[in-house]
Amino acid sequence: MERFFQYVFDGLSFGAIYALLALGLVVVYRGTGHLNFAQGEMAMFCTFLTWQYDAWGVPFVIAVLLGMISGFVMGAGTEVSLIRNVAKKSEAGVFVVSIALFLGLNSLAAMLWGNLPPEQMPSLFPDEPGDFARIFGAVWRYEYMGILLVALILMGLLFLLFSRTKFGLAMRSVASNPESARLVGIPTGVVLASSWGIAGAMGALAGTMFGATTGELTAGLMFTIFIYASAAATLGGFDSPGGAVIAGLAIGVGEQLAAGYAPGWIGQELRLGVALVIIFVVLLFKPSGLFGSVKVQRV
Amino acid sequence: MSLLSLRDVRAGYGPLEVLHGISLEVEPGEIVVILGANGAGKTTTMRAVSGMIARHGRVEFEGSDISSISAEKIVRLGIAQVPQGRGTFTELTVEENLRSGAYVRHDDIEADIQRWYEVFPRLAERRTQRAGSLSGGEQQMLAIARALMSRPKLLLCDEPSLGLAPLITQELFEVLKRLNAEEGLSVLLVEQNANLALKVAQRVYLLETGNVVASGTAAEIASDDSIRKAYLGA
Repeated sequence: MERFFQYVFDGLSFGAIYALLALGLVVVYRGTGHLNFAQGEMAMFCTFLTWQYDAWGVPFVIAVLLGMISGFVMGAGTEVSLIRNVAKKSEAGVFVVSIALFLGLNSLAAMLWGNLPPEQMPSLFPDEPGDFARIFGAVWRYEYMGILLVALILMGLLFLLFSRTKFGLAMRSVASNPESARLVGIPTGVVLASSWGIAGAMGALAGTMFGATTGELTAGLMFTIFIYASAAATLGGFDSPGGAVIAGLAIGVGEQLAAGYAPGWIGQELRLGVALVIIFVVLLFKPSGLFGSVKVQRV
Repeated sequence: MSLLSLRDVRAGYGPLEVLHGISLEVEPGEIVVILGANGAGKTTTMRAVSGMIARHGRVEFEGSDISSISAEKIVRLGIAQVPQGRGTFTELTVEENLRSGAYVRHDDIEADIQRWYEVFPRLAERRTQRAGSLSGGEQQMLAIARALMSRPKLLLCDEPSLGLAPLITQELFEVLKRLNAEEGLSVLLVEQNANLALKVAQRVYLLETGNVVASGTAAEIASDDSIRKAYLGA
């Protein structure tokens, strides 16, 4: 039973990271209908920026906030300068641009920070070897608890923004019908840029917290995380923020359980396969994802 | 001074010009209807006024030129458009649709929401339902109420009767007529159902392939034999 709880605790924390990134994908997708393939690399780049601010002597909490602001600026700036203009001309163009961003940011990060010795990423939470609590016999590290808590708080704030504020209503209006949104006076450009910005800021936080658990930063930091996050967004439904969160956490836990209980001859690498098989099956029977809305419209 | 005045307005989509220089006027407190066949440029005229497409020539609202102002800002000046096909936010609830209609306002909007619930009781019954689950008539009511939430001086209404049962259409037109009579709401209406439109409108413009080919009071147009033949089917 200890092992089971261990997998659940670990899974929830990694799942929270997937959920943050998946939520970013969903926010962008709902707003603009695009899948931002560079989401993970933006997060990675901002993680390095956060590390850099810290290395320059900025207090770490401030460095993390600066990293998130950088993520917002990077996301919003990408939408305003690249995506918006390309999207007018071709949908495929947006795909190409996001792939180019993916490769560009990866190379740029490697160029700027790759020649340094492996970078230690500080943690927002106590992360000495002895910093854990024993719950049901399993080890729950304070750092992992912290990640889960911060992610849940941030996601809670985001849901309040969506459901309780005028700006959130504007975001949902634009997602629902951009043309009508303009007709009621909503500045759709500002809303779309903000969606990309919010996704960027959440990615920065996800990357920073995940980077601290791996110890050293590399340009490949977010590769697998991004795959899991895409999986979570697909599983939850690309237009469902709540679905992305639940699916992210579920995939995190499921992955740990699959890896932990898999027979030895299959090996650890099974976990990614399990995630992908689950998604495949879900999409086969429920193409809009578990919580995605099937568009119904009476005329 | 006219509330809305178009002078030699040209507009279209990309290289395709649909309006070849049209002029029309809406006086304060008037209901004006634009009649015309499919493809005459009725919807394009609406979109040229509301700023949804690029347009050339002069579009004056309350005396100032709005031909280079964006759609978002034109709403703030007091023009609200009910788009063709209703364009409700189908994933949002009825009440959220109304709230988003008041996006440009910063004062208290609760009284207005209640007011439109009274005018359209069916919306009140369905306030927590998604707009997408409403019937066509209810969606059209919602689209009109949403537009009115911004408290416009001029309401642009693009074929509200499209796809609706005659009774529902009649009900909607009654509401527009009442708002016009009681509060002086000005309306620019696009309709294919000419018989119906002539009953509510005070003045009429006839559009043919992007040009105004005739205009006059509703009574004049209704009594013109050649126009009757072409547009009223009698």
